[in-house]
Amino acid sequence: MHFDWPYFWHQLLEPDGAFLQGLWLTILISVGGQVIGLVIGLPMALARRSASVFLMWPARFYIFLMRGTPLLVQIVFIYTGLAAAGILRFHDITAGPFNLSGNVQAGILALGLNEGAYMAEIFRAGIDAVDRGQTEAAKSLGMVPGQILRFVVLPQALRIILLPIGNQFNIMLKNSTLVSVIGVSEMLLVTETINSATFRTFELYSVLALYFLALTSIWGGVMRYVEWRMDRGAARGDAAVIGMLQGEHI
Amino acid sequence: MADVLVQAERVEKFFGPNKILDGVSFTVTRGETVVLIGSSGSGKTTLLRCINHLEKIEAGRITVNGYLIGYRDRRGVLIEDRERNIARQRRDVGMVFQRFNLFANLSVLDNIILAPMRVRGESREVATERAMRLLARVGLAEKAHSFPASLSGGQQQRVAIARALAMEPAVMLFDEPTSALDPEMVGEVLAVMRGLAQDGMTMMIVTHEMGFARQVADRIIVMDRGRIVEDGPPERLFNAPAHAKTRALLAARH
Repeated sequence: MHFDWPYFWHQLLEPDGAFLQGLWLTILISVGGQVIGLVIGLPMALARRSASVFLMWPARFYIFLMRGTPLLVQIVFIYTGLAAAGILRFHDITAGPFNLSGNVQAGILALGLNEGAYMAEIFRAGIDAVDRGQTEAAKSLGMVPGQILRFVVLPQALRIILLPIGNQFNIMLKNSTLVSVIGVSEMLLVTETINSATFRTFELYSVLALYFLALTSIWGGVMRYVEWRMDRGAARGDAAVIGMLQGEHI
Repeated sequence: MADVLVQAERVEKFFGPNKILDGVSFTVTRGETVVLIGSSGSGKTTLLRCINHLEKIEAGRITVNGYLIGYRDRRGVLIEDRERNIARQRRDVGMVFQRFNLFANLSVLDNIILAPMRVRGESREVATERAMRLLARVGLAEKAHSFPASLSGGQQQRVAIARALAMEPAVMLFDEPTSALDPEMVGEVLAVMRGLAQDGMTMMIVTHEMGFARQVADRIIVMDRGRIVEDGPPERLFNAPAHAKTRALLAARH
């Protein structure tokens, strides 16, 4: 076996600008997709739990569709499919020095829509896990459903679902490579491009794998810290973490 | 009866095919302390939960302060009211639960001021001032900034009572308030309730504490299989129970 160590070290420690650009895009797409997923997830979970069939069934269908079809297919469908059908074409957006090309927008949207379905199920499980007695007590004090959700149920549910959400973001980081199929130059596509010129496949993909391991490890560290803070908070019965999650005092 | 506060007329309630409440009627006048007793499954807790519409009823009507609870009367047919209206009706009815149900994410003080601020629109200052007075009354002023998880069961239940009182309800419902407590903590909760009764609070209490019932109750309602089988002052029920169920309950628990 031949392994070109100098080339490997060079790519790992001094990657070219295109690769760093790819790293930046990987992070941007993952975070963007996760944010959209979170924004979709909560209302979708509430709709899914709703007594109204006009809310419940569309939410159910959305979750069914997104979880039942491959993410790769969804990405191609949203970018290439919708454009081919003349329904929606993603145009580049330029604001000053920043440029968000159409395929990046489509990639973020597709990842976000897919993530939203998983987030909806996580939010739903978290809300269901909060003791019913909490809701009954709030009702008995004359609070309306929106207030009960905001001040009592959601802060407790968030605590429960924080770690599952963290796991989802770990998956998101890795799934972001799928948008390479619509030509987004994230880390995988950049690696493929360099590879087609150099054919140092083993070395290049080793570097790529190590960069992903670094990203997921950093994220894992963040989650362990949050978990530690929560455990400590629970042990002391203090509000630091809950306050942080709630983001606002009553 | 001069000043009827709570009135139930022929209330019926089903869980599936099971009739839980079978034509229950009673009245509670202002300032009265009424204790509900009965073996488990007799419907006493369900009856209490119907009074603030935590449970729907299938027939009959319940009024508090003259307001129909949970329903609108549309030409004699009762239709369930909107959530917002039901929430408004619940302001007048305080409730204390067997398992306390303090909001786990909020401090003791925040537990008490949440509804006064958000439901009644009070300022934090006004709500806090009343909350501290109520905490002093239940003997927990120094726990204002503690969290429920760090309190004993008896302390949590006393906070729960203060939380309900903070809405200045017309009537307080107690659903087996001491059943989940260790024996040594029962006394501190009963003492707070006794104080409320003496101050003239209107109360409906589901309990198995017969000694307490005898001391505090103005009236005792005995339930059996969804019906009220006896309703009268404690002296009469304890000394000359008319119904076999009453005799059995008092003999077993006293």
